[in-house]
Amino acid sequence: MPVMNDQPDYDPVFLHCRREAIVIVGVWVAAMIWTLSSCAATGYADGQDVPTIFGMPSWVCWGIALPWLVADVVAIALCLFYIRDDDLGVAHEGADVAEDIRHRHEGEGDGNA
Amino acid sequence: MTIDSAAMPGILAVGQSNAALATFILYTLGVFVIAALSNRLLQKKAFLSEYFLGSRGLGMWAFALTFAATSASGGSFTGFPAKIYTHGWVLALWIASYMVVPVCTMGLLGKRINQVARMSGAITVPDILRDRFESRFLGLMSTLLMVFFLVFNLVAQFKAGSLILETLLTGVEPFQTHAARVGDWVSNAAKTDGWTFLLDATGNPVDGGYLLCLMTFGIAVIFYTTYGGFHAVVWTDVMQGVVMVFGVAVMLPLALMQVGGLENATQELAQMVPPRPATICVDWGAQKTEDGVLPSGSWVQQPPATADGQPRLFRTTKSALYAAGTSQVCGVEALEILSDNEITRLTGPESPLTFLDAGVAEINEGDTYAYGSEEEHKGAYVTAPGPSRTDSTGFLPLGVAISFFFMWAISGSGQPQYMVRLMAFKDSQTLRRAIITVTMYFSIIYFPLVIIFVCARVLLPGMENEPDRIMPQMAVLLTENAGVGWLAGLLVAAPFAAVMSTVDSFLLVISSSVVRDIYQRNISPDASERTIKWMSYFCTLAVGLIALFGAISPPKFLQDIIVYVGSGLAACFLFPVVAALYWPRANKWTCIVGMLGGFGAHLAMHLIGMQVNGSFVNAYRLFGLDPVVVGLVASLLSVLIITPLTPKPPEHLVRKYFYRQPAQS
Repeated sequence: MPVMNDQPDYDPVFLHCRREAIVIVGVWVAAMIWTLSSCAATGYADGQDVPTIFGMPSWVCWGIALPWLVADVVAIALCLFYIRDDDLGVAHEGADVAEDIRHRHEGEGDGNA
Repeated sequence: MTIDSAAMPGILAVGQSNAALATFILYTLGVFVIAALSNRLLQKKAFLSEYFLGSRGLGMWAFALTFAATSASGGSFTGFPAKIYTHGWVLALWIASYMVVPVCTMGLLGKRINQVARMSGAITVPDILRDRFESRFLGLMSTLLMVFFLVFNLVAQFKAGSLILETLLTGVEPFQTHAARVGDWVSNAAKTDGWTFLLDATGNPVDGGYLLCLMTFGIAVIFYTTYGGFHAVVWTDVMQGVVMVFGVAVMLPLALMQVGGLENATQELAQMVPPRPATICVDWGAQKTEDGVLPSGSWVQQPPATADGQPRLFRTTKSALYAAGTSQVCGVEALEILSDNEITRLTGPESPLTFLDAGVAEINEGDTYAYGSEEEHKGAYVTAPGPSRTDSTGFLPLGVAISFFFMWAISGSGQPQYMVRLMAFKDSQTLRRAIITVTMYFSIIYFPLVIIFVCARVLLPGMENEPDRIMPQMAVLLTENAGVGWLAGLLVAAPFAAVMSTVDSFLLVISSSVVRDIYQRNISPDASERTIKWMSYFCTLAVGLIALFGAISPPKFLQDIIVYVGSGLAACFLFPVVAALYWPRANKWTCIVGMLGGFGAHLAMHLIGMQVNGSFVNAYRLFGLDPVVVGLVASLLSVLIITPLTPKPPEHLVRKYFYRQPAQS
């Protein structure tokens, strides 16, 4: 008879997913801080003599285009080097419905009893 | 009756090519072929999982492009360009969080939700919640919330798709003829046969062209979705995703070339001030010999009062009828161009405009923009917060900009229609590659769209009152000027593709909820596969037809509801789902209270807005933040507070979903 382990290990896929989700939230926070602080400092200003870079207003270039480029590089790097290839398991198609049917029949059995 | 010679051409009646019809017919045929191929797959695999989830076997391209196309709704190619046109460069900030949208919306929940769905065999989001907590009530509640939110959205998307098609086909002769016939029939049916559902909110018969487009668009989408299921939706999404990126790739270089470079466009915008609405009397100086129409989009100028002055330029924004024997038509709605640089350019020797051979006899000036018209706000089109017609704080104050960073990236992660797609990819390698693909896809779509429609402000002046026409009009202008007018037919398929791919996804999410979460799991778990199959076909068809019927004469307050439900879904679902997936201590009360907390706070902001601002859609902004942020915070707090106060979840559920499973012997 197999011995039940009272303190089993966490599922590694769950741990990987949680760790990756935390890093992704970090990327979102960093992008938000960069974009909003940069645009707040230079974008909300008098626009008649706005300086331009590559034809776009400079606040758009430093506050949006550049972080967008960096975010793309970071997202690609995360996907290539950080997010793990995990086995997501076999789909138990119909398992939940089978459980529903079992509960229903148990209920009927109880009722009959 | 005559139509004035300066009439604006129909968007796709260019060169009498009927390109829109050809494009639409080819496009629809392609979609039907895909549906037929998908239906063959249905015969070979487990029906429900295949019909609603593609047997969890989506590969990289299919998964990436269906995710991207579902995300890019009709708004991306109609509302977004119109906003760029109206508010200028600040839209780059409005859309900026799309830099992290792919990694957030796919990476935060993707792998884990896919794994949990496989563990329980779930095929819908309510399925996951019900299985995770073994709570029938939670499953039902989340189903009802989702159906409530999505049905309204579906009606609006049907309406959007029909309006886009109508905009594209206006001026195409066969369409005009049939639209007129349908219009006559609607008028008779509504007035003499008592078919009041054919009357719009103001009591007038529904426009024949709109009804024709609605039926064509609606029946096409309902048919291919019902018949082909998830795979049909995914493969058409792939096709639509390609069409969208093609549209942008062609328009960007043409726009930059024709505007004389981005630097030139930005400098022109920096000098611009928003136009002013006005009603004018157009005076031909001689009596008209027959009845006629002064079309919307006609240009008319009033000569300068002094030799060194500038003329006043107006562009009519609504058609006006005139009678024989009159020389004037009054009460014509128009926009007056106020920017000196625009007036100089548009009246100069290289002006692209044709002016009416008429003057302006009387001008009643309307209100100028609440933000952007004053001298101190000159340059509003190239700075934040951007000009606004109604809001004196501008289009995008900083608090609202913060909200949009939540809105797209975080609340996007909480939309059930995206979560369903995350349950359908094949393996985690597919997910990683798809995130990279969508990251690049969004980057080459959204930022270039800002550039294209910044150029449109210079190339197509005075179109503020016709936002739906800006994208197709720009496509026609760019291709005509480049001598490739036939390309317009393909370019304008992009917004049509976008709205189609959103409608089909919503349709399937709603019908899967009804079949799976209400019928199979609550009424008849042991229904045969044959019954489930016909229920699925029937529900998809029925939901589609109900939404189609609702879109014939949408309620006047529909747009208000759409604004509300768009963000309401995320406020309800995001944190309960996150807790279900990542927090072993979470129980069914975590989700129930989290959903109700998000729903209640979000609704409260709108109800307070109704009291304070006089409009349900103009929600109250607590600390200057959008209601979605308030709803998300309330939902998060509810989750964190209620969980420790309620019993621990059953041990077997925690073991099943969070711990390493013992090896199967």
